[in-house]
Amino acid sequence: MQATLTALVAKAQTDLAALKTRPEFEAAKARLVGPHGELTALMKQMGTVAKEQRPAMGKLINETKTRLQELLDAALGAIATAELTAQLGPTIDPTLPSPDVGPGTYHPLTLVREEMCRILRKVGFTVADGPEVETEYYCFDALNTPADHPARDVQDTFYFPDTARFGNVSKKTPGERYLLRTHTSSVQIRTMLKGPPPIRIVSPGRTYRRDTTDATHSANFHQLECLYVDKNVTVRDLKALLDYIFASLLGKDTKTRFRPHYFGYTEPSFEVDLSAQHLPKVKKEWIEIGGCGMVDPTVFAGVGYDPEVWSGYAFGMGLERLAMLLYGIDDIRYFYQNDLRFLKQFA
Amino acid sequence: MKISLNWLKDYVALDASVAEISRALTLLGLEVEQITRTGAPPLSHVVVGEVLVRDKHPNADKLSVCTVDVGPAGGVKTIVCGAQNYTVGDRVPVALAGAVLPGDFTIKQSKIRGQLSDGMMCSPQELGLAEAADGLLLLAGRPALGTPINEVLPAGDVVFDLEVTPNRPDCLSHLGIARELAAWFKLPLVYPQEKFRGRVEGEAHPELLRGVSVLSPEDCPLYTAHVIRGVKIGPSPEWLRQRLTAVGLRPINNVVDVGNYVMLETGQPLHAFDARKLGGAEIIVRRATDGEKIVTLDGKERVLSSRMLVIADAHKPVVIAGIMGGENSGVSDDTTDLVLECAIFRRQSIRWTSRHLGLTSDSAYRYERGVDPHTALEAAYRAVDLLLETAGGRVVGPVCSVGGDVPWQREIVVTHGYICDRLGFEIPAAEMRAALESLELNIAREELTEARGPAWWVTIPSWRDDLDRPIDLVEEVLRLHGTDKIPSAVVTAPGLVSDDDPVVRFNRRVTDYLVGHDFHECVNYTLRSAKEIATWVSQTASVELALANPFVDDQSHLRPTLILGLLESLRLNQSRGVAASRLCETGRVFIERNGHNFECAAAGFVLAEPVGERAWLRRDQPDFYAVKKHVAALAAAAGIDLAAQPLVPVTGAYYGWQEGQSAAAGEMAQGWTARFGLLNLAMVKSFGLEGKVYAGIFAILPEMLTGGAARRRYSDFSLMPAALRDLALVVDAAVPAGDVRQTLAKLARAAVGDAFGLESLEVFDVYRGTGLPEGKKSLAFSLVFRSAARTLTDDEVNAAFQRIQDEIGKSTAWAVRK
Repeated sequence: MQATLTALVAKAQTDLAALKTRPEFEAAKARLVGPHGELTALMKQMGTVAKEQRPAMGKLINETKTRLQELLDAALGAIATAELTAQLGPTIDPTLPSPDVGPGTYHPLTLVREEMCRILRKVGFTVADGPEVETEYYCFDALNTPADHPARDVQDTFYFPDTARFGNVSKKTPGERYLLRTHTSSVQIRTMLKGPPPIRIVSPGRTYRRDTTDATHSANFHQLECLYVDKNVTVRDLKALLDYIFASLLGKDTKTRFRPHYFGYTEPSFEVDLSAQHLPKVKKEWIEIGGCGMVDPTVFAGVGYDPEVWSGYAFGMGLERLAMLLYGIDDIRYFYQNDLRFLKQFA
Repeated sequence: MKISLNWLKDYVALDASVAEISRALTLLGLEVEQITRTGAPPLSHVVVGEVLVRDKHPNADKLSVCTVDVGPAGGVKTIVCGAQNYTVGDRVPVALAGAVLPGDFTIKQSKIRGQLSDGMMCSPQELGLAEAADGLLLLAGRPALGTPINEVLPAGDVVFDLEVTPNRPDCLSHLGIARELAAWFKLPLVYPQEKFRGRVEGEAHPELLRGVSVLSPEDCPLYTAHVIRGVKIGPSPEWLRQRLTAVGLRPINNVVDVGNYVMLETGQPLHAFDARKLGGAEIIVRRATDGEKIVTLDGKERVLSSRMLVIADAHKPVVIAGIMGGENSGVSDDTTDLVLECAIFRRQSIRWTSRHLGLTSDSAYRYERGVDPHTALEAAYRAVDLLLETAGGRVVGPVCSVGGDVPWQREIVVTHGYICDRLGFEIPAAEMRAALESLELNIAREELTEARGPAWWVTIPSWRDDLDRPIDLVEEVLRLHGTDKIPSAVVTAPGLVSDDDPVVRFNRRVTDYLVGHDFHECVNYTLRSAKEIATWVSQTASVELALANPFVDDQSHLRPTLILGLLESLRLNQSRGVAASRLCETGRVFIERNGHNFECAAAGFVLAEPVGERAWLRRDQPDFYAVKKHVAALAAAAGIDLAAQPLVPVTGAYYGWQEGQSAAAGEMAQGWTARFGLLNLAMVKSFGLEGKVYAGIFAILPEMLTGGAARRRYSDFSLMPAALRDLALVVDAAVPAGDVRQTLAKLARAAVGDAFGLESLEVFDVYRGTGLPEGKKSLAFSLVFRSAARTLTDDEVNAAFQRIQDEIGKSTAWAVRK
């Protein structure tokens, strides 16, 4: 009996190790320990064993049973492992590239615009928007640009034929022409006409000039303008904003300079220069970056704000120019070609 | 505009350095575009010397050892010299030890090939007078030995090229700039001495000029003519030639040069006629007749129109008013009698004419920007003085003057407190007052007010027409105080007064989505060609979206879609051998509907099949359903649930899309539109692109974007297990799955009743082919039933499922596929 048990274990050890599938395992298990299995058959022979040998034999059978169960568990474990392993593909090569495209990239103009909007939001500016097709009133008249001003010439501004009708761009007066806005200042006018001060907006957007396209000019380009209207807004506040913007954008070493200038819609008016010689490709001490000034009382009167009560400032700049400065890009046309080798550099 | 420093010094005793003057100009608002130096720079320890002896250097073939006498500046020196162009007895510039020549070259005693050399004889190049030279500067006229070289050489000058803003026509002159600098440096401004001042001597000569008539007084508010008899035309004196040359003008003759000189001095353009060439001895200021011609001084024939103003004699136009004279009346070498015109013309008239003739001049430039009519006569008197000085002759009668009878008077009342309030910082009242007065903005009256400091009644001079309101004086005070002295401050930021515009938020959301799905954001031009729009969008759009004045032919129309730009970007990358397949853009598009154009916010993308891709591992190609998911996301960003919208397959009526492979949703009548799917294969090919291109665009009226959707409400969901059943239906192949699903859902919900719910119903298989009749397809749906309260039993689910199948048999043409 003892020899039979030992043989049973030895055979089970060999047989179970060769098992590959669960059905084979179940069959082998039934054959060994099932109700009609070999161990069960041996246990049934206990009755034939001499009484004094029974305790020792019983112990031996139990040991065999335990041993068989261990062997069964190990076999099942091996099968489960084999099953999982079968799910695996070939070994990976971590140095092979992913065939998937990506990641996507934001356009550098978007990156610069959003960075400016974030900087400005921290000091209370929210983003305003307005139509790109505008009328003479919103683009020029309301901004104190007289009818004979050179900027309004057909040489410089894109107009639409008198017959053109735009369903969702409102005209102030029936006779005025539609045009493509030459600056985003028209958004300021529409915003001021919509409601009373205080106003603190930034309006980024596309603008158009009838211009030859070359390395520094483009028929359509992007501007970003800020407008703040409140009580007691001063020149000093304006300078503080510009200092804040460019220190945030370019670092504390950046200096700004106001040069007195002339714009019809601000008084006093300034051009803004930057001193940021730590930037790439910056050779000059001062680089012109935008224009600004205190909103002209005429503009306030035109939108129904009392210039005796309200004051404000406006600041505007070209986004392409800023992006070119920040990234060291030297040709404005790259922004509009969308060569992936360009677009992927700024993500 | 070019301004000479030497010339400025006629009116203001500037002793500041060029850098300081340049900074002053910049901070005054006169942008310095360029600074050019002419002539000799200041040179110390460089004097006149004479070569007494010239011997060959013992150790070098090309060098000489000279004995040079520099007189009282140091006696006789030994100097080694390499030049060859001089002989004993020549006088030359000698740089003595201690001299610093241009380029920071310091001269000291040294040994050259063993020979002592005590100084250097100089070439024009070494003195900074020329870019290159091949020999010493030989001084003509034997100047005295030891004379500092600057006393011998022509004085140097510094020329500033300034950009003058359009509001400051008074600064288009040396006097105007001198006035600004005098104010900045707190120096007095000295006006030129005038002698003539309108005193006419001698008898009248009506045969030279009988009279002036101004027929268009609105275009010519002032016209004056002085007659000068007996002039002698010749070259201008050296000082005058130097002045003009310095600022880039070519000297012509004394009369023309004086006209230019006075214009550059005062800003008032002047014109001189040869009196004998004026037909009928009269001047008529009138509009040209249409088609009238004149040959201008540049030798070109100009055809005029009736909107253009001319100066004419009895027979013909002789000048295009304010812009350029005619050849027929100009001053020539044999001119003896002059008529000197000094006039004011309406800015708009000059500008219109100048633009339409494509003809500009220094005179037109000044008239366009505005010339002060109240100082015009001063300029005429100044010109007369200089003409008499340089060309002789005398002024004879009659002096004709027409118009100019509107007197100038302007006063602005401003308080010290107002200016400080606008600036946001204090400038002492005394400094403000001094600043204003230094610009000849004289304070006629000062009164102390209770709260706002002194109040000033400021008299505005006629040349400062730009100053009209108290705010204008704030700028003047700040300019002279210095914008670099605005004290720094922190930005005070109260809470936000509004949120970002909904269009902006929409753009951000869709860009974030698309970039997050591996698209590269592009920016393309808004303007596109008519032909493209007619081909890809519609004939009507190619008419309605046209600009009146395009600049180039292929950018003549507003874009009605973003896809054309994206295709162009794909093509550019393909042609450059750069793999590009996923591009997107957001921005405005312009959609025509019933003769009206609507400006829409839009987001679009293209998804191109990779062309010639050789990846080591292949991926699935893009298809319609991939595109559909993206468009649904774009619509969702605008608050539109695409799944709840009717979707129609596109037909031939949709330009640019491949029939049977693309779909449309929305119409502009609803305020939005979406198109997506495969772009027309043939059109994409003829566009120059290889491979299939899928695309999607979503456009919406900005006013429909309202920002955030209404706040969502939570709805309860069941924690009980679901019961699943599958159902395959055989339907006509042409019936859209969405229609079947919709009907099935309705019918199933009715069949289930209130006992429990049909939680979801989705297509999971579409089959055509073997086993199905011709023209049919099988749609397999997965139905999920669930109760909110309990676990469903098989029996009740089976009963409901059977009722659904029965109902299909009764009320539809579908067959249940067993």
